[in-house]
Amino acid sequence: MFQWFGKVNFTPFTKVTEFAQHLKDGRLMGSKCTKCGATSFPPRADCGTCMSGDFEFIEYSGRGTLQTYTRIDAAPTGFDDVVPYTLGVVDLAEGGRLLAWMGESIAADEIKMDMELQVVPQIFDESEEIKVYYSIEKPGTTWHKGDSAR
Amino acid sequence: MDLGLEGKSAIVTGGSRGIGTSVALTLAKEGCNVAINYRKSDAEAKAVAEKINAMGRKGLAVKADVSSFDDAEKMVATVVEEFGSLEILVCNAGITWDGVIWKMTEKQWDAVININLKGYFNYNRAVASVFMERKYGKIVNVSSINGLRGKFGQSNYAASKGGEIAMSKALAKELGKFNVNVNVVAPGMVMTEMAESIPAEFLNKAVDETVLGRIASPEDCADVIAFLCSDRSRHVTGEIIKVDGGQYI
Amino acid sequence: MTRVGVMGIGHGLFGRRSDATVQELAFEAFRDALADAKIERDMIDASVIGSVPEYHKQRSLPGVVQEYLGLNPKPTWLTEVACSSGSAAMRTAWMSIKSGVHKVVAVIGAQKMTELTTPEILALMGRVGEVQWESGFGTTFPAYYAMFAQRHMHEFGTTHEQMLGCAIKNHYYGARNKNALFQKEITLEKALASDDVSTPLKVYDCCANADGAACVILAAEEVVKEMTEKPVWLDGLGCATASMSVLRRPNLVGLPSATDAAGEAYKMAGVTAKEIKVAEVHDCFTIAELMAYEDLGFCEKGEGGAYIGDKAAYIGGGGVAVNVDGGLKAKGHPIGSTGISQAVEIIKQLRGDCGERQVPDADVGLTHNVGGIGQYCFVHVYRRD
Repeated sequence: MFQWFGKVNFTPFTKVTEFAQHLKDGRLMGSKCTKCGATSFPPRADCGTCMSGDFEFIEYSGRGTLQTYTRIDAAPTGFDDVVPYTLGVVDLAEGGRLLAWMGESIAADEIKMDMELQVVPQIFDESEEIKVYYSIEKPGTTWHKGDSAR
Repeated sequence: MDLGLEGKSAIVTGGSRGIGTSVALTLAKEGCNVAINYRKSDAEAKAVAEKINAMGRKGLAVKADVSSFDDAEKMVATVVEEFGSLEILVCNAGITWDGVIWKMTEKQWDAVININLKGYFNYNRAVASVFMERKYGKIVNVSSINGLRGKFGQSNYAASKGGEIAMSKALAKELGKFNVNVNVVAPGMVMTEMAESIPAEFLNKAVDETVLGRIASPEDCADVIAFLCSDRSRHVTGEIIKVDGGQYI
Repeated sequence: MTRVGVMGIGHGLFGRRSDATVQELAFEAFRDALADAKIERDMIDASVIGSVPEYHKQRSLPGVVQEYLGLNPKPTWLTEVACSSGSAAMRTAWMSIKSGVHKVVAVIGAQKMTELTTPEILALMGRVGEVQWESGFGTTFPAYYAMFAQRHMHEFGTTHEQMLGCAIKNHYYGARNKNALFQKEITLEKALASDDVSTPLKVYDCCANADGAACVILAAEEVVKEMTEKPVWLDGLGCATASMSVLRRPNLVGLPSATDAAGEAYKMAGVTAKEIKVAEVHDCFTIAELMAYEDLGFCEKGEGGAYIGDKAAYIGGGGVAVNVDGGLKAKGHPIGSTGISQAVEIIKQLRGDCGERQVPDADVGLTHNVGGIGQYCFVHVYRRD
C-alpha cells in the first residue's frame, strides 16, 4: 500500500504501510507506542523513546502552522509536468511536522509564515494508478472520510 | 440476504416505466430514497414517486431530458439537496428506433445515440465528482445483450448499448480508487411496455432462444441491479452481468 | 601523543571534466601532492577515498583509483557521507595514523557528477532528506536550503542581498584561483536577475555541480617534522550528526551538527572562534555560508547578514576570512572532493603560499564541511608551527 504515497514513490515497503490505506480513506495517521505512549508524526513502527516495536496508528487532525515554504522552479525527474510547485513545512497541532504541497485553496500571495493551516488527505485523480498524498489548505477546510474496508 | 441499502439515496433514469420503475420500487423497498426523471410523462413519474413515498421513503420525480448535459447536472444537484446525499446511480433510460442502415435517417441515429449513450454520459459525469468527494458510489449502467452481439436492424441501438459497456469499463478504472463501483447489467428480452408492441412470432423466437424458456420480467432485472447497488457486490466492478435467461451465451 | 600533520597537497581543475575519468582526475591531484611532498609513491601506506559513488557508472571507486595511482597492494576504502565525504576521509586517515596503524596516508577526494544529466542530479540530490516522507513531493536539494533561507529571513530580517553578498565575495576570490570553475566576478544586479531555482534562491545563490579531485597526504609527527619545511598540523577534529529529516530539527535557521562539531574541534585544538584567522565553509548555497558564520561562532545567531554585509569575511575585513579561494560557489562542488579542496586551501594559507589571496598572519585555520542538509558536519582545525 505504501507504494501509493507520493507522486513518485521510492520506498514501497515499510512497517507503517497501512498509513497509505488510511490516507486513501481520508485519515491522517501518526503512531503511538503501545508500551510507553510516545507519539510520532510521521508514524514510525519502532519507538524512538523506548525502542519497542509495538505501535498503533492514531488519527491527527491535520491542523497546524506554517514553519517555512519554497516554490520550486527547477524540477527533478518525475516532476517536470507539475512545475512550479510550492512545498510547505507544517508544524502540527498535536506535535510532529510534515512536508507537503501548498494546496489550491491558498493563493501564492496569501502564504504567510506561521499562518494557520489544515492538512488535507488527497487522491491523485488524474492518475490511472492509485496515488495518495496530502496537501496544505486553508484552515476550516473539510473533506469526506471513507471506509473502504467495509 | 440483507442488501444494507437502508437510508441510501439513488437516481434511476427512465424510472417512470418498465425496468426503471421496477428498479426504483425495488431500491425503495430495500430502504432507499429514489429520484426518477421524466421528460414528458409526468403523471407516470409522479405515480412512481407517490408509491415510494407511501413506503415511507423519499420519492422524487424531476423533469429532466437525459440527452441534456445541463438537465443531468441540475437534477443531480437537486437530488443531493433534497435527499441530503447520493450513493447510487442507475442509468436505464433508453429508446430503440430500428431500421436497416441503408434506410436509417440521420435523425434516427442521432436520437438513439443522444438519449442512450450521451444520456448515460451526462448522468455518470454529473455524479462522478459527488461520489469521488464522498469516496463512495455505485453506478449501474443498464445495457443489453444487443450491445454484446449484433442484431439485424439495430445498428444505432447496438452502437449505443456497446458504447455504454465500454464506457462503463473505462469509468470503473477511473473511479475505482475513490471506492466507486461501475457495473453493467445486460438484459435480454424483457416483458415491458416496449416489448408489448413486438409481434407474437418475434416474442416466441426470443423464448426459444432462452435456455430457461421464459422472457424476463422487469423484477428479474431489478433484483440483479439492486444487488449491484449494494455492498454485497462491493468487490465487483467493471463487470457485465447478463440477465437474459441464457438467451445469448 | 603523536600529532598528525600534512606532508603534501594537490588540487586538480574543477569543472565539467568530460576529458577525464574519475581515476584520471584522482591521478592529477595525487601526482601534485606527491610532488609537493617530495616523496615517492612507495612511502604511502594506505589511501582513503572520499567520494559519493552513486553518481558514477564505475562500481567500487576505491579499487579503480588505487590501481590507476599504482598503489596496489596497499589498503584502501571509501568514506561516504554525502558532501562531507572528503572530510570523513580526512578524519579516517587521521585516526589510522593516530592509532599507529599507518604512518603516511593519501587522502583523496575524487568525484564525477556530470555522468548524470541535470534533472537526474536534481532528483538524486533531492533524495538526501528522508525519502520515505519527503521525496514523493519532489524535493530538491536547493529547496531544502531555500526553506532554511525563508525561515532565517523571517526570524532575523536577513535579506536576499545579504545572502548574495556571500556569492559576490566568493566569485571575487574565485577569479583569482586558477583551479576554480568560475573565473569571473559577478555583480548584485546580475545575481538578482538570475532565474529562480527554489524561492528565495536564484541560480546565483547556488553552487554548481562539478567534476574534480584533490589530495592531502597526512603523516605521523616524526615523518612530518623530518621531511617538511613548513609543517601544518591537523590538531582539532569535530564531527556530529543531526536528524536525516528536516522534520525533526529543533529549528530551521542553523545546522546543529555544525555547532556541535565546531565545539568539539575548538576544544580539541585548544582554541575558540576568536583564534580562527581563515576558514573554508560549506557554501553549497549562499544561505549556508551565512548560517555557517553563526554556527561556527564567528558572529551571534541572526547576525550573519550583517557579518557579510559589513564585509567582515573578506581578507582584512576585520572578521574571519572565509572562502577566499572561491568556496564551493566559484570552484564548483564535486561533492566527494570538496572537503579535501577546503583542506588544501587552509594548508596553503597556513604555509603562506596564497599570493594575492594570502590572509595575513594565518596561523590557525578551519574547514567546515557539511553533508547533505546538515545530517553530517565535520569541522577540522589546522595549525602551523
